[in-house]
Amino acid sequence: MTDFAEALESGVELLRALPRRRAAVAGARRAAADWAARRPWLRAQLVVDERPGTPVVDYDLLLDHPDGGTVALTAPSEDGVPWLVDHSTHWAAGHLVSVDGVHVSVPQALTMLRSLSRRDASPYEEIVDQCLIAAAAEDDTEPLTAEELQATADEFRRGRGLRDRASTLAWMAAAGLSGDRFDAYIAGIARRRRFRRAKEAELAPARLAARPEDFARVRAVWVAAPEPVTATSPAELLSAPTGTAGPGADAAAPAGAAGPEVDAAAPAGGSLDGLGDLVVTVATRWEAELPEPLRGAPPGRVVGPVRGDDGLFLTGAVLARTPAAADAGTLAAAGRAAFSQWLAERRAAATVEWHWT
Amino acid sequence: MSKRGDGAAERVLGGLLRRGAHLLDPHGEEPPDGGVPVLWWDNGEYPARSRITASFAGGRRRLLLHIDRPDGEGPTVDLSRVTAVWRSRPSGPQAHPAVTDPTQRAHAELQAEVMLDGVGSLLPARWLPGTRADELRAHNKVLHLARAVDLGFTVPDTTYTNDPDELAAAYAAASGRLVAKQIAAERFRIDGAPHRAYTTVVTRRHLTSRHRLRHEPVILQPYVDKAVELRVIVVGERVFAAEIDASGSTAARDDWRHYDNDRVRYGPHELPADVARRCARLVADVGLTYAALDFIVTPAGEYVFLELNSNGAWGFVELWAGLPVSDAIAAWLIGTPAEGPAPTDGVNP
Repeated sequence: MTDFAEALESGVELLRALPRRRAAVAGARRAAADWAARRPWLRAQLVVDERPGTPVVDYDLLLDHPDGGTVALTAPSEDGVPWLVDHSTHWAAGHLVSVDGVHVSVPQALTMLRSLSRRDASPYEEIVDQCLIAAAAEDDTEPLTAEELQATADEFRRGRGLRDRASTLAWMAAAGLSGDRFDAYIAGIARRRRFRRAKEAELAPARLAARPEDFARVRAVWVAAPEPVTATSPAELLSAPTGTAGPGADAAAPAGAAGPEVDAAAPAGGSLDGLGDLVVTVATRWEAELPEPLRGAPPGRVVGPVRGDDGLFLTGAVLARTPAAADAGTLAAAGRAAFSQWLAERRAAATVEWHWT
Repeated sequence: MSKRGDGAAERVLGGLLRRGAHLLDPHGEEPPDGGVPVLWWDNGEYPARSRITASFAGGRRRLLLHIDRPDGEGPTVDLSRVTAVWRSRPSGPQAHPAVTDPTQRAHAELQAEVMLDGVGSLLPARWLPGTRADELRAHNKVLHLARAVDLGFTVPDTTYTNDPDELAAAYAAASGRLVAKQIAAERFRIDGAPHRAYTTVVTRRHLTSRHRLRHEPVILQPYVDKAVELRVIVVGERVFAAEIDASGSTAARDDWRHYDNDRVRYGPHELPADVARRCARLVADVGLTYAALDFIVTPAGEYVFLELNSNGAWGFVELWAGLPVSDAIAAWLIGTPAEGPAPTDGVNP
């Protein structure tokens, strides 16, 4: 037998003995390297064919022919595995996660990552939430209106700073979405949006009736600083730390709206020496959305300094409180809170399976 | 007949109730105002939580189903009065939890399955899609492809084989554009993880393990270029067609069952009348009243039949393509004309 014939026979035996699992590839490479080192004239190389979606791998061995050219050996053994079974994929190959039987493909997840909107939730949580809402909205077969689609598309573009056609097309190209697919994608968001709004409207009155104290409108001032800030009256908090956030900011708040606020980072210096950067906020908030130490505090009384979970000290005071009324703004806030709770309950009860962890 | 939580059953139930049917109450009583009584029962409740008796004595036949409710109550249904049965997603018989030995559980469940098949065959009822035996027979790809050919459908050149020698020949005949499919879609495990063989585009790599073909027969067909794929739903005489355009999806391009919905478009499709008629005829020919048929429409506009699924999914056809399948099923069960769009609007008579 020639050296080359021996090498062919030996190479086949090597290939037939290599373990065909992704986890065993490093060992297979070592075995092939040892084999090759004993036959340097062959310039042998092991090629590993790692297929997506399965732990099964294939091997080829490349050898130099004595007369020039390359010989490729492959030698699947008879291991009793049927042909299509050997070439199958994990049932969820290409899926990232399944939530109560709703599967999210990797492309869908990538698109979702581009459209995640909630800063208070991790991508994991928001993907799960999107699935739960999609499943709950599945029975809604009422066609979407042009207005709903337009509003959703506008909201989506605004949220991503896509203010013109060119930037929207660029985003679509980056996401791998054609025009049709973008429309379908927006329709999916619109359907979830419609479900969410309907559910919020459905749940809002009961939530408001059950917890009216959460929906009082509260005007408050608070200072967050790395070192304790002390004050004896709200007026001190409004004027002393920066001189830029004060009652003037109050006038900017429209009646009945939770929201407008003034944040000001104060430079260290003057009477603020040693306090570091601090932030003064003057805002109107729903009671339940105030910093925790201020919730339920009587107007005019300074609370704090209290150290929060973020390590900052909070000192503040409620300036005014208006009891909850069943107006549109309050019902909307109650609906949002109720929906969050509804979703949290669904999330807690959901069967979530991440396929690639 | 379907497991609890089956969304398809919920939708059809809605259609039945809109037609004046009513769910049988826990005691099996019928309301005074009449209407067709409907029972939602899962054969997974049998024999653990349901009792069935078939007796033949004194020239009389009794076919009774008693359902045990947790409160000890439960209706007794005279099965000889059943007029229509829909096998949606039945779980299959399950032994009582008290039966713990696996072989004895399997034994009890087999006895129950045979009993159900026998009692089912005696019901004076119409079945949708058919009895369990009807479904199994029609679902066989070798059988229904042959019947499709007989009825004049265009089908891909197809080889069913476990002969390793056939593989390279089929690959060559398809000019290297060959796909392989399972004869029966079943999951299995590799290293304990559930795997599935989707439609597989055959490469030269696959040819190198041709010996494995000996262990299972497979389907080999040339790759058929597609403009769109179709899922055609036949309910009795009614035919609904949904088109599935997966050309924008890398994951679902070769097999839409990968469900990549952001990149796959679903919509109603108007079938040529002769194709629609042939679909209804094929379903009746294989002994069913319902089936989901899969087609490819080629870029040249040819309708190529791929396979028939005797209890194939239709929910996405209704939800994503907007075709009123649940209403058609409800109408079929209750025996009244279906509501819905005109026959030319993606729905063919």
